[in-house]
Amino acid sequence: MAKSKLLVVGGGLAGLMTTMKAAEMGTEVELFSLVPVKRSHSVCAQGGMNGAVNTKGEGDSPWIHFDDTVYGGDFLANQPPVKAMCEAAPGIIHLLDRMGVMFNRTPEGLLDFRRFGGTMHHRTAFAGATTGQQLLYALDEQVRKWEVEGLVTKFEGWEFLGLVIDEDGVCKGIKAQNLSTHEIRAFRGDAVVMATGGPGIIFGKSTNSMINTGSAASIVYQQGAKYGNGEMIQIHPTAIPGDDKLRLMSESARGEGGRIWTYKDGKPWYFLEEKYPAYGNLVPRDVATREIFDVCINQKLGINGENVVYLDLSHKDPHELDVKLGGIIEIYQKFVGDDPHKVPMKIFPAVHYSMGGLWVDYEQQTSIPGCFAAGECDYSQHGGNRLGANSLLSAIYGGTVAGPNAVKYIKGLDKHVEDLPSKMYDEAVREEQAKWDEVLKMDSGNENAYLLHKELGEIMTKNVTVVRYNKDLQHTLDKLAEFKERWNNININDTAKWSNQGVQFTRQLRNMFALANVITKGALLRNESRGAHYKPDFPERDDENFLKTTIAKFTPSFEPEITYEAVDCSMIKPRKRDYTGGAH
Amino acid sequence: MAKEQEFYWRRLHSLLGLIPIGLFLTVHLFINFSATKGAETFNKFSEGMESLPFLGIIEWVVIYIPLLFHAIYGVYIAFTAKPNLNRFGTTRNWFFVLQRFTGIFLVIFIAWHIWQTRLQKTIADATIDYNLMSDVVTSTGMLIFYIVGIIAATFHLSNGLWSFLVSWGITQSPKSQKVVTWITMIIFVLLSVVGVMAILAFRG
Amino acid sequence: MHTNHGRSKTIVVKIKRQDGPDATPRWEEFEVPYRPNMNVISVLMKVRENPVTRDGKKTTPVAWNMNCLEEVCGACSMVINGRPRQSCSALVDQLTQPLSLEPMSTFPIVRDLQVDRSRMFDSLKKVKAWVPIDGSYDLGEGPRLPERKREWAYELSKCMTCGVCLESCPNVNDHSSFMGPAPLSQARLFNTHPTGAMIKDERLNAIMGDGGLANCGNSQNCVQACPKGIPLTTSIASLNRAATVQMFKNFFGSDHMVD
Repeated sequence: MAKSKLLVVGGGLAGLMTTMKAAEMGTEVELFSLVPVKRSHSVCAQGGMNGAVNTKGEGDSPWIHFDDTVYGGDFLANQPPVKAMCEAAPGIIHLLDRMGVMFNRTPEGLLDFRRFGGTMHHRTAFAGATTGQQLLYALDEQVRKWEVEGLVTKFEGWEFLGLVIDEDGVCKGIKAQNLSTHEIRAFRGDAVVMATGGPGIIFGKSTNSMINTGSAASIVYQQGAKYGNGEMIQIHPTAIPGDDKLRLMSESARGEGGRIWTYKDGKPWYFLEEKYPAYGNLVPRDVATREIFDVCINQKLGINGENVVYLDLSHKDPHELDVKLGGIIEIYQKFVGDDPHKVPMKIFPAVHYSMGGLWVDYEQQTSIPGCFAAGECDYSQHGGNRLGANSLLSAIYGGTVAGPNAVKYIKGLDKHVEDLPSKMYDEAVREEQAKWDEVLKMDSGNENAYLLHKELGEIMTKNVTVVRYNKDLQHTLDKLAEFKERWNNININDTAKWSNQGVQFTRQLRNMFALANVITKGALLRNESRGAHYKPDFPERDDENFLKTTIAKFTPSFEPEITYEAVDCSMIKPRKRDYTGGAH
Repeated sequence: MAKEQEFYWRRLHSLLGLIPIGLFLTVHLFINFSATKGAETFNKFSEGMESLPFLGIIEWVVIYIPLLFHAIYGVYIAFTAKPNLNRFGTTRNWFFVLQRFTGIFLVIFIAWHIWQTRLQKTIADATIDYNLMSDVVTSTGMLIFYIVGIIAATFHLSNGLWSFLVSWGITQSPKSQKVVTWITMIIFVLLSVVGVMAILAFRG
Repeated sequence: MHTNHGRSKTIVVKIKRQDGPDATPRWEEFEVPYRPNMNVISVLMKVRENPVTRDGKKTTPVAWNMNCLEEVCGACSMVINGRPRQSCSALVDQLTQPLSLEPMSTFPIVRDLQVDRSRMFDSLKKVKAWVPIDGSYDLGEGPRLPERKREWAYELSKCMTCGVCLESCPNVNDHSSFMGPAPLSQARLFNTHPTGAMIKDERLNAIMGDGGLANCGNSQNCVQACPKGIPLTTSIASLNRAATVQMFKNFFGSDHMVD
């Protein structure tokens, strides 16, 4: 019998951790990534990673972390995997420390921790303000070691085109295309782990990297996988408005004492501190975002009449700022030109993270057998809102679960892919080649893919972010149907058969439409307000009708079929989420 | 030359540039400087050098072999570089280019110099003394050629000393490297003064 | 933003284009509308939304690499007005016009401004740029580290493999196998970490081999060009010292190969 093989799609934190775990168990791994894995979007995470290591004498514990996370997510997450994640967190932090992550230290040389939103504890380990980068590099290095040892083969610069699914509906590999040569190949895999990140680019400008189109997860969804809680999109309260993207200003800025304010009646008004005396500037993101949005849009109290408020660090010690927040201070200086040591930063909310994603069971397996998912592309950990510094944790934790479970799944198979006939794979390549050739022929229309994408982003940002109205959501769905038609009229402007980025983008754009439908339809049908999902017409949480996971199934019209699934709340009984008082 | 051994060849190249070549150059310039005290003083020093025991062996071991190696390997190093002064006009980048440029020039200059002096002794049995050099620099062109050669050599040595200290890991921090830049440039100026005054002395 | 003639202000950009690795390069000139706070990426985005040259000729959209757009992923390096740097942090208001964009030709060109930097990742393999841990099982806490040592090591660990230092180095080119400053500095980083140092002799011997440390010619352009301000030349000098010691240890033998 041939050796078993695992395919991992995506080389961010989740994909690399999956790869490392599987390689450690002796499984051969082929790792696919659009970009060299070291350039994955995980590098953009800034503030840190949560784990209740409790080194500050605060009596923190994994259970409190668990409670904060579930409460912060407005009880929409199934609790058992969240609890498992919070219990694993301290161990994961120590593991990464052993790998050489340059976490900030205390004077005694121990790991330092800072505060983040939605908790009263110092629970966030951090490496300056480029924690995601540092964690990604550590895992990248470990995977490189496995590469040298021959267990891992990287396919960097390859785009995922779809799963290869056999006649029993079981995943047996993937189809992928080289981004330079455009060669299309089918890869055999006993199991596949999708670790393909979030879909922020659907909203045009966001805090996300350019590869975060959600295209890969969308393809798997279009191939029949269930997609959970798509409507739960996190809008980060503090980003720098920009021409090409909205650059994140980490929550750690507030964790280290940054204050949000604007002018009211000619005087500074610290509106978060005023309304939420206990949590102050460290209320969860959905809460902070709605407040800033309200101050700017409804009360028209933005700075100089623009849609920005101040995030102020200028009262802090400059050296301490450099040591603890250097990365983001530099970003602000380089991209805006002002010095946050001296003047407050101007910020506004921006699309940041998708709590929703591919549905997975407690072993991180999607509804397609043999296909697993981990990281932002799975829906499992954050419910209706993600707490800051939980994303690095969930990405890495997802990998530590998906990797070993995929290997376990492979061990249980009675036949390995190398023994399967090649017909299924040849067929898969032919099918994708035909699709590609079709797109390459799109040179007579009058739509520009990038401009169409801009329209998509604008309408999604306008109607499906901070405040949602059913009328606008329905309108958005209609527009999405129109976009799908207009897509056929795209002119790719470039028929080159070598490194043709326009054609790749055109193909991704269609996949974005599919997910945009999931997000919008899910939002339309959820007539309540929970976590990041806020409808002024339904301002309260409605546990009776909507303490349920939204499940989207693909239909060829692109408008998904929505069903609901009960949420496992067996450990912590849902209670009202309210940050205006003290500890919850 | 095996690429795997490159490290050791480079280190040898760096070391030889200083010891013995750099030392020899310094001694050479100071002996020449004696010409400022008149032809006789110079001839006395010159004879003193010529009367060293095992002169032939010393010449080969201390001068010719190290110099040949330093020259040949140095030319190889110079030609593997792709200067980019147009992009980076910093002092260090200028010095990087000058080090290579002076190196190439010195290969030509020193070959010519040895031909004009030491080899004349071997071939034509000439005496190496004040008059020989005096004849050489009567032409203004030749004088300029020698002055440029001397300054090239003193720069190459001084900056080479700076590089040596970095390449062997003696100066590490930016500040130490900066301080040594100043020190080596002072050495460059002093050696140049000595060398140029000496060559001018041969014009009588 | 208007010119005297009442026409909207525009940006002129010259781009060195090349259809493939073996194709002949050509220059194309574009004109795009100006908006405040534009960076080079947003100029390129404007070009691909309407790929027509300045003299009205229809052309293909320009190919380039980008990802995070906040100078942390390292993808978008190119030569802008003669200097290699990240295009995301190159703000148009701070650049003289017409803008000139070229690929970093030290690396093999894929298409237009896209280059293949895989040699850098190969170098990281060569210098064993990782901490050799026993495994990812829960083995307790990591080693302690003084915060002040961590602070400078963190500076080295910010290297995003963008390739700007290689492009700026006169000794990295097709005549030489020099791996360039970035991977060398990583060798120093891992030789600093308490566990990483357990194979420090292996790393030193690797950089004392082909294309290694000795190829540095001290032009010190790398440290000028590095977008992250990494003290690359200090790293190289420090490695030079370690290599000097290692050279003697190798020759005479030593019981202290890793301490």
